Amino acid sequence: MLRMNNPHRNSPVRFFFNDREFEAYEGETVAAALLAAERCVLRKTARRNEPRGLFCGMGVCFDCLVCIDGQPNRQACLTPVTDGMRVELQIGNGNWSEDL
Amino acid sequence: MIVGAGPAGMSAAIALAKIGVQPTIIDENAETGGQIYRQPPSSCSNSQSTVATAQARAGLQLRERFQQLADKIEFRRNTKVWGVFQGRRLAVTTSDGWEMIEPERLVLATGAYEFVPPFPGWTIPGVLTPGAAQLMIKSMQVLPGQRVLLTGTGPFLLVVATCLLDAGIEVVGIVEAVSRIETLTSLPGLVHDIRLLRQGWKYLRRLRRAGVPIHTGHVVVAAEGDERVQRVRFAPCNRQWRPDQSRAKSVEVDTLCVGYGFVPRTELAQLAGCQMQWRDKLGGWIPVVDTSLATSERGVWVSGDGGGVAGAAVAEDEGTLAGLAVARDFGAIDEASFQRLRHPIDIRLKKLRRFRHTLDKLSCIRPGLSELAREDTIVCRCEELTRGETDAAIAAGCTTYRTFKVATRLGMGPCQGRMCWPTMARAIALKTGKPIEDSGPTSVRPPIAPVTLGELADREICRGSAAGESNP
Repeated sequence: MLRMNNPHRNSPVRFFFNDREFEAYEGETVAAALLAAERCVLRKTARRNEPRGLFCGMGVCFDCLVCIDGQPNRQACLTPVTDGMRVELQIGNGNWSEDL
Repeated sequence: MIVGAGPAGMSAAIALAKIGVQPTIIDENAETGGQIYRQPPSSCSNSQSTVATAQARAGLQLRERFQQLADKIEFRRNTKVWGVFQGRRLAVTTSDGWEMIEPERLVLATGAYEFVPPFPGWTIPGVLTPGAAQLMIKSMQVLPGQRVLLTGTGPFLLVVATCLLDAGIEVVGIVEAVSRIETLTSLPGLVHDIRLLRQGWKYLRRLRRAGVPIHTGHVVVAAEGDERVQRVRFAPCNRQWRPDQSRAKSVEVDTLCVGYGFVPRTELAQLAGCQMQWRDKLGGWIPVVDTSLATSERGVWVSGDGGGVAGAAVAEDEGTLAGLAVARDFGAIDEASFQRLRHPIDIRLKKLRRFRHTLDKLSCIRPGLSELAREDTIVCRCEELTRGETDAAIAAGCTTYRTFKVATRLGMGPCQGRMCWPTMARAIALKTGKPIEDSGPTSVRPPIAPVTLGELADREICRGSAAGESNP
């Protein structure tokens, strides 16, 4: 279990990563929620198609870019996870969802 | 207006509020504390720190002093500055939209980020900075991994290793580039601050008791794994931090934390037009300041790690000093009281700086680090440029940030050169034999944080723009 023991956690939320449902807690960032879900590959790079994940954790390096609710290039380490959020592994530079 | 609510920014706000000047302090995070004194999310009721370290206590004390003056300080959370225009006009975004703010006086307390040189495998998921690992535990209460090796240099590795241990993570070792002999011969310089020295000793004792091996005089030479790091290779190094690959050892991990000190975040100072200088021991390019921390730009002060990396204790004192300097400029205190109030700070800073000086000399980045990357190792994480490509560019005559950008796209990705340039500047200096400062700092252009065109175009939420236009 990758979440620390804490009886006083915030309320749970459900979110999706690549269409699979996971539980997270309010106040967690997308990066933290995915780490706890043991999903450490957040994107594949544009040029060499290599996996990348959380690196600096504070919004400086831009390596944790994911697609959130159809919007690519969102920083997983800075974005709070919300109920019903749909997160996807970003491929290359990402594409905007046509629904937006 | 103060940008950054870490130890420096909070101290500046406290100093101003005490004098009776109401400061506004903005931060991109939801809580005060910055990176070093990070707090769990506000609604999360588990406020008691699981890791009762000296650092946590210092953070708690500072936050208490800040809270006591809360009605005299305007704290704007989740507010991100993405540009500075014409002197001091700040473009900021919040969750409601964006606006322009034009403060009369600006204190930049933007902090620092970790320095990581490229080495084979450093882009594999599971390789992250010690700061990121600590943040996951302290703020998110999520474990970054289960078997962790820490590498790099400096006391921060010990702090984070202790934090990982307390969280129940298996710390398989610490790989510290500085040799034991070098550390021991520097001890006389470190006794300038017994308190900090004793703190360091406490961390070491805790780690030793937990049986964590500390490999001094070693550097990590490679991380291996496909979708997650599985193995780390490290080797003994010489005083220049050049490894002896033939004596490399291998260890199984699921996480590698790597950090060789810090780099000041100077984007806002650069955008404001502040004159910059290269100071290797303070982390790289920093704004030129006078004895009251005023930059070359009228009305702009800098304090804390963003003005040169020196740690939280120095940041608090510098923040207070900058706050006092602003109050004097404002006319809220006269010259005599300014001098009287700054005197004890100067004494403390002098002592702390002597301690830091020894530490900085030890942890100063050495040439071996610039050579760890192989031909096919990525050096620019955003644009995926390899060492082979950047070496070719240097050979072809690219020796400044500008020429590098044009020829290779290095620094043109979303991180804007923050991750790659500190390494590249050193690599260029090594190859050309010229001083590092000749290659120049990164060129900073707004937006320095992501803003969508939709956000910019949305007039309804652009609150301050009309008022902003009327100002020259």
